[in-house]
Amino acid sequence: MYGGDEVSAIVIDLGSHTCKAGYAGEDAPKAVFPSVVGAIDQMEVDDPEKTENNSGSALDAKNTARTLDSDKTKGKRKLYVGSQTLGFRRDHMEVLSPIKDGVVVDWEMVDSIWDHALRECLLIDPQEHPMLLAEPSSNTQQQRERTAELMFEKYKVPALFLAKNAVLTSFASGRATSLVVDCGGGSTTVAPVHDGYVLQKAVASSPIGGEFLSDCLMKSLESKGITIKPRYSFKRKEIRPGEFQTVDLDHPNTTESYKLYSQRVIASDIKECVCRAPDTPYDESAYSNIPMTSYELPDGQTIEIGADRFKIPDVLFNPSLVQTIPGMENYAEIASSARGLPQMVLESINKCDVDIRRELFSSILLAGGTASMQQLKERLEKDLLEESPQAARVKVLASGNATERRFSVWIGGSILASLGSFQQMWFSKSEYEEHGAAYIQRKCP
Amino acid sequence: MDAKDILGLPKNSITQEKKSRPQKDSQRKPDGISREVYALTGGFPPLIPAIEASQLKKRPPSDEKITWQWLPFTNSARKDNLHLYHWVRIVNGVPPTGDYSFAKYNKSVDIVKYTDEEYEKYLTDPMWTKEETDQLFELCQSFDLRFIVIADRFPSSRTVEELKDRYYSVARAMLAARAPSPGDISGHPLVKEPYNVSQETERKRALSMVLSQTKQQERKDAEVLAEAKRITESRMVARGAEESELPVPSNAGPESAERAAIPSDTVSPSANVQHPSAAVAPSTITVDNASILASLRMLRVYLRTYALDQMVQAASSSAGLRTIKRVEQTLQELGVNLKPRVPTKAVCAEHLELRREILTLLNLQKQLQYKEAEGSSYRDGSYGDTPGTPKHLSHGGDQDRIFVPDMNFAGERIGKRDQKRKAPGRLSEAPLPAHKRPRKLKAADL
Repeated sequence: MYGGDEVSAIVIDLGSHTCKAGYAGEDAPKAVFPSVVGAIDQMEVDDPEKTENNSGSALDAKNTARTLDSDKTKGKRKLYVGSQTLGFRRDHMEVLSPIKDGVVVDWEMVDSIWDHALRECLLIDPQEHPMLLAEPSSNTQQQRERTAELMFEKYKVPALFLAKNAVLTSFASGRATSLVVDCGGGSTTVAPVHDGYVLQKAVASSPIGGEFLSDCLMKSLESKGITIKPRYSFKRKEIRPGEFQTVDLDHPNTTESYKLYSQRVIASDIKECVCRAPDTPYDESAYSNIPMTSYELPDGQTIEIGADRFKIPDVLFNPSLVQTIPGMENYAEIASSARGLPQMVLESINKCDVDIRRELFSSILLAGGTASMQQLKERLEKDLLEESPQAARVKVLASGNATERRFSVWIGGSILASLGSFQQMWFSKSEYEEHGAAYIQRKCP
Repeated sequence: MDAKDILGLPKNSITQEKKSRPQKDSQRKPDGISREVYALTGGFPPLIPAIEASQLKKRPPSDEKITWQWLPFTNSARKDNLHLYHWVRIVNGVPPTGDYSFAKYNKSVDIVKYTDEEYEKYLTDPMWTKEETDQLFELCQSFDLRFIVIADRFPSSRTVEELKDRYYSVARAMLAARAPSPGDISGHPLVKEPYNVSQETERKRALSMVLSQTKQQERKDAEVLAEAKRITESRMVARGAEESELPVPSNAGPESAERAAIPSDTVSPSANVQHPSAAVAPSTITVDNASILASLRMLRVYLRTYALDQMVQAASSSAGLRTIKRVEQTLQELGVNLKPRVPTKAVCAEHLELRREILTLLNLQKQLQYKEAEGSSYRDGSYGDTPGTPKHLSHGGDQDRIFVPDMNFAGERIGKRDQKRKAPGRLSEAPLPAHKRPRKLKAADL
């Protein structure tokens, strides 16, 4: 037995793409939904100033008082969370994300997301359950304090712990020391973990993530003349048995962000079905004669995808490919400063102490939604074998199950929170009241 | 029985099966589980028995009343009194007492603590401020002396070696300060093996050099080394080839080869091996001599008879045992001693020469016999052919040709006899150069 003792803790992992929540001790999270929020401003017509305030203003996360004030001045904003509510098109609904570049910018949205997860998906009372939250590997002290405040003041949890994503992934594979390559939705982070602690000075991150790749794919298809129609914009009628006719619907009040969000859902589905990491760096001439794969869009249109199947995933390894995709020019500066995945791994390892480098090389873990792309592990291993030193043995590990790779952070949290020897490490409410939110730095290193 | 015959069933088979089946069943079925349940597992015992079969049958319902309750618990490893809840096995309504079972795993490292006065007295250091030292010790306490993590979290960038050095020197100083006498602590590992900063730094630098060599550099290094090896080998080959081209009689030849052989043993085998078409007898002889001379030189002092033996052995190494016997037989026929009675340098050289010539003679005789056999087989073969075939014509030609070689054979035979005569003549001359006997007439002279 592994020394488990269940105290019915709840594990929440708020990622940049999806939010995962569930009970500790289980295999997989019960609640998985996109971590974006649909917002409709309640008072749009009467007060034009307030509408300007509502749509897209980033809140200052430092001052809680100011946040409350701006809530009042903004007026009420109805937030819709969850894949079901988001799937239903509403007039004037903007789709916003609370996380930008890995940093939380809108705490109200985060609050609504947690509320949805706890009250509506898991149906629990947060007062009875200790809470384990997963945070990004390079989180600032400020953000942590804010999280602690929100949890203790609003939800009144009995105990809290903030664990870094990389540490949880490492625990999910049973290792205390490893190099975690987290290819998530919003960004890709490479973080070394030594003996259960993240080495913060060696964390490398790049803004190229799954969503970026979906955008690339969308722009590439658009340049070829294929328009992805969002699901709400058409209706299919069966004229004769087996034959469908598509009727375009017009919804003039749909916001641009909602349209983009719906299109992105379809594009990421295409990406997951069709894209594969190429075995060698992408070359225009080599892949010009590749056989096309067909994909049927929801509106009945069938499209053929050829070289893009391999070009898009190769952006992870070679970000400068973005410049060859028409329509992505405004992202060119991001791409030029970003480094490819193997370079990030090497950079991160070389910043670590010499003694642990060998161990890091031989336990490189892949995690995240984008990591479940086919052949990614083999390609990364091959690229690393080329560049790595002779004396080190390179081994890239990834759990075979695609679900496990997507939820590896959550699974690590589930394992951690149900260990008997972890129960002494919680940051309890009484400690919070006694020492304040800053104490979290000591309790959750 | 009749029914079986009608149906065509084999006799006695079913009864046999019935007999064997109950036996097998009683063998396989373990006690405690019914047969049907056992058959669910496939009818074979599991490789690792999960549950003892005896356990399943025994265990009558116990008299105790067992319930599970969701109860709060305290954890002595925590400083506050947080009450978390978990499932507890209650026996007869009495909850278990005692501390939380996992509290005993709360271990930490004992970190040296110092007061301000002690710091002032013993621990001041020009490179470290008090705040930094305090910070360091705080981190050591929270991270249990994991120096790599401490170095990562330390606000200013100090290397792991510096941090370790500071920590260990402080600990040592405190130990020394607090000990009643120096003798008490001399056995303590902190005092016995002090932390050596320079050595650690050097070691890490070397390790980072090893680890920073990429595969391409390794490949280049390997290529360079292979190239160098090839160049040296080709140089040796060139030198060896030069030696083999030197003419046989010169003594300088074997000696220089021998000189070359001695300094680099590896060269002589390669020189031997790389002699192109060096089946020429003289050169092999030279080489043989060279190698023997080489081995003899090693001895510095040796008997000439010993040397002669070695030479003879080398010369006759290519021949078989029978041939050696025949050589010795021939020598005896000629009246020559197998070992010369007065082994001077000239005598030994002539003796060796004689042996070689006898060997050559015997080899030629053997070849002659083979050719004769071939020739006779041609002749016999030609008689057996049917006339009228084109072969006949060619055989006619062959016959002509054969008759001519027949003449030649005869001539050769004569020649051979003469050769035989020749040899002894020469033989008789060789050991006695002083005697000037008139040479017998030879066929070659005719």
